[in-house]
Amino acid sequence: MDALSFFTPMTAVLIFAGVTVGIVFGAIPGMTATMAVAVCLPMTYGLNIDNSLSLLLALYVGGISGGLVPAILVNIPGTPSSIMTTMDGHPMAKKGEAERALKIGIVPSLFGGLFSATVLFFFAPPLADLAIKFSYVEKFLIILFALTIIASLSKNLLTGIFSGVLGIWLSLVGTYDINNGGNGETRLMFGWMEGFLSDGFSLLSVLIGLFGLSVLLAEAEKGVPAEATSQFKLSGAKTFSLSVFKGQIGNLIRSASIGTFVGLLPGIGGSAASVLAYTQQKNLSKAPEKMGTGVPEGVIASEASNNGLTGGALIPLVSLGIPGDSTTAVMIGAFTLQGLQLGPLFIGEHLETWDMMVINLFLANLVMFAIMFFAIRHIVKIIQVPKYLLYPVIVVMCTVGAYSANSGIMFDVWTFLLFGLFGYFGQKMGLEVTPLIIGFILGKDAEIYFVKSIESYGSLWIFFTKSPIAMALWGLIAVSLAYSIHNIRKAARRGKQDAAP
Amino acid sequence: MKRLASGLFAFALSAAALAAVAAAAAADYPARPVQIIVPYNAGGGTDLTARLIAQTLEKYLGGTVLVRNQPGGGGGIGTSAALHARPDGYTLGTGSQGPLAMLPHYGGIDYTIQDVDFLALIGRNLMVVAVNKNAPIKDGKAFLAYAEAHPGRLTVGNSGAGGANQIAMEGFAMAAGVQVKSLPFGGSIAAITACIGGHIQAVVAHPAELIDHVKAGNLRVVMVFEDERIPAFPDAETAKELGVDFTWAAWKGLIAPKGLPAAVRAKLVAALDKTFHDKAFLAKMTGMGEDVDYRRSAEFKRLAERDAVVAGNVIRAIGLYGMNGKTK
Repeated sequence: MDALSFFTPMTAVLIFAGVTVGIVFGAIPGMTATMAVAVCLPMTYGLNIDNSLSLLLALYVGGISGGLVPAILVNIPGTPSSIMTTMDGHPMAKKGEAERALKIGIVPSLFGGLFSATVLFFFAPPLADLAIKFSYVEKFLIILFALTIIASLSKNLLTGIFSGVLGIWLSLVGTYDINNGGNGETRLMFGWMEGFLSDGFSLLSVLIGLFGLSVLLAEAEKGVPAEATSQFKLSGAKTFSLSVFKGQIGNLIRSASIGTFVGLLPGIGGSAASVLAYTQQKNLSKAPEKMGTGVPEGVIASEASNNGLTGGALIPLVSLGIPGDSTTAVMIGAFTLQGLQLGPLFIGEHLETWDMMVINLFLANLVMFAIMFFAIRHIVKIIQVPKYLLYPVIVVMCTVGAYSANSGIMFDVWTFLLFGLFGYFGQKMGLEVTPLIIGFILGKDAEIYFVKSIESYGSLWIFFTKSPIAMALWGLIAVSLAYSIHNIRKAARRGKQDAAP
Repeated sequence: MKRLASGLFAFALSAAALAAVAAAAAADYPARPVQIIVPYNAGGGTDLTARLIAQTLEKYLGGTVLVRNQPGGGGGIGTSAALHARPDGYTLGTGSQGPLAMLPHYGGIDYTIQDVDFLALIGRNLMVVAVNKNAPIKDGKAFLAYAEAHPGRLTVGNSGAGGANQIAMEGFAMAAGVQVKSLPFGGSIAAITACIGGHIQAVVAHPAELIDHVKAGNLRVVMVFEDERIPAFPDAETAKELGVDFTWAAWKGLIAPKGLPAAVRAKLVAALDKTFHDKAFLAKMTGMGEDVDYRRSAEFKRLAERDAVVAGNVIRAIGLYGMNGKTK
């Protein structure tokens, strides 16, 4: 095997260490794969290109994968791209199926990772050509498509949409950047806030505040039940078996493809992948009303898509020199330092490095699976820790995460606290957290791409006439909306029937 | 009378003492480490260049030379720190086009180009215009003709609002008497991508950012803002060939606050002159992809002041003058 000649004991150590560190970063709320790569980048200065890529790719894969652990166990997404894993993962844990849920989660993670690495290897240049066909117009439509999930995700349609719009509104706080078609003025704030809020609220702080702190506050309010230690069973009536994936092959492939596709579009973040994959699964599911109550298919969709991102995001990086997401953006530094120019000539001129990257990506995914599979039975014990001990630790971790999110800004910690309280009181008033956070994550990009489209083309009609891609996206949006309306009406009818007798 | 005499005596004495101190300072210089303030993050192009210069300068200056990064405000914060330092030759700075020739026009900056002592120009980063390979525009002449025939419709991407790339395009358009539509992107690479994807018709960027895409056949470079054609893109016409008197390139150099002791300045300039003729230094710079274009103080000053005037006119014309606050 010529291609494996780069493989040395050092490589094995780096991949193993990288995946482990990555998983830890991914699992700590507020720390992400991007931070894991950024923190370890200076360590690669002393390594050669093969070894430094082994380490960075392993960190990337580990960081994306680790997010499912807190999402399932404590209902806090470890990274933004595992938001939708909480929807079904945590209810499963509550049913006493935590171990099963984690194992169900890592199989699609592995599948998504391998799938995207395969796509990367065989189709990188043509897919990169496809990616650059997506201008602001098409990117806006994709985000609009992802926003349609708010309709099908809401427990109550009206409060769900209200929460989503509130999230979009909150995302607009900050400077209206002149590069984004704005006027450079700050919006939605008073003058004295400019010092803190000129960049808006930090996404990670908002995320862990809304998901983490508000949930912990609600739990704290309930007090310590007498049988606190035996609340969760680790593995309940159902144990993990591969048969759960029967009938889910379509889901796996679709979700992994969505992940890879979103990954290859620069400027559309990983959370959109998870959101889109989850919506599509819900729309096409045989039992959509069960999604969100703790069914494996939700976990499968979310986890296959977020690991599908990894290979996808590397596609524009290697074939155009454009990072597909924030993590690959940090990786550019490693290439530059080694004197490698990423761009249309990269694959042809550095064939060996390229082969090695793909092999590394495969290996990292396999190592991730092995580590997680054997670690799960230990990790899962976390939820047996009494809540009055566990939750303060989580609050500490969240606080550290919020502080380190933008390398040490105290206001991010206050944001975390503020949104924790906001989420706590908001939920008491019927506000829905998931639509709100989806609105918050996607709102700003939606605005930027909308404004830039108009700026570039000068007419609203461009959204309909720009390209066949745009028209196809409108079709998808229409179908997605039709499905969710259909599902809501069906659920309402069923609700009536249940109530009648 | 006696008091006056003693006063004069004291004055003469202190003047003599001061002169002696100054002479001693020049002879000792550098008695302690010399600092170069880089107004950008560590690891960037300017930072790496400054570190290489520091390394070589130590040899010729005979003392320690350190690099300090003071990023923020588009380079305005570190540049201000360098220009407001004590003018004793122990604090220098790298001076780039953005912070020196452009930022003061946007306002909210506490220095002007008049406060700068220009020591040496390190290099220039040329500015060229590229179009999509399928665009009907085949050369510089066609580019100009298209802009004339479609006022305000030719979409040209740049690296960011108010940046050197936008100033370059708007400056060209002003000089040519045409109107183009400048579209700012989040960085040069994003603009280049949009041009390859055919979402904009042209892009202003540096040659190093474009060369791979030109080789791969995605883009065509049609115009350079230089006095003469450049070897990297020999087919691209200069603006001057098209009858538009406009040249523009980004640059960086070494600067100091005004008022350095003459002897210190002379010693520093001489050491820099040797640095920029050091073969090992030049080889390392080329290896990093940095084009060295060394020019002495007077020529650096002329270039910077010319660009500041051009940038000022363009910034006024596109309505961004004083956008960030009062201009000094």
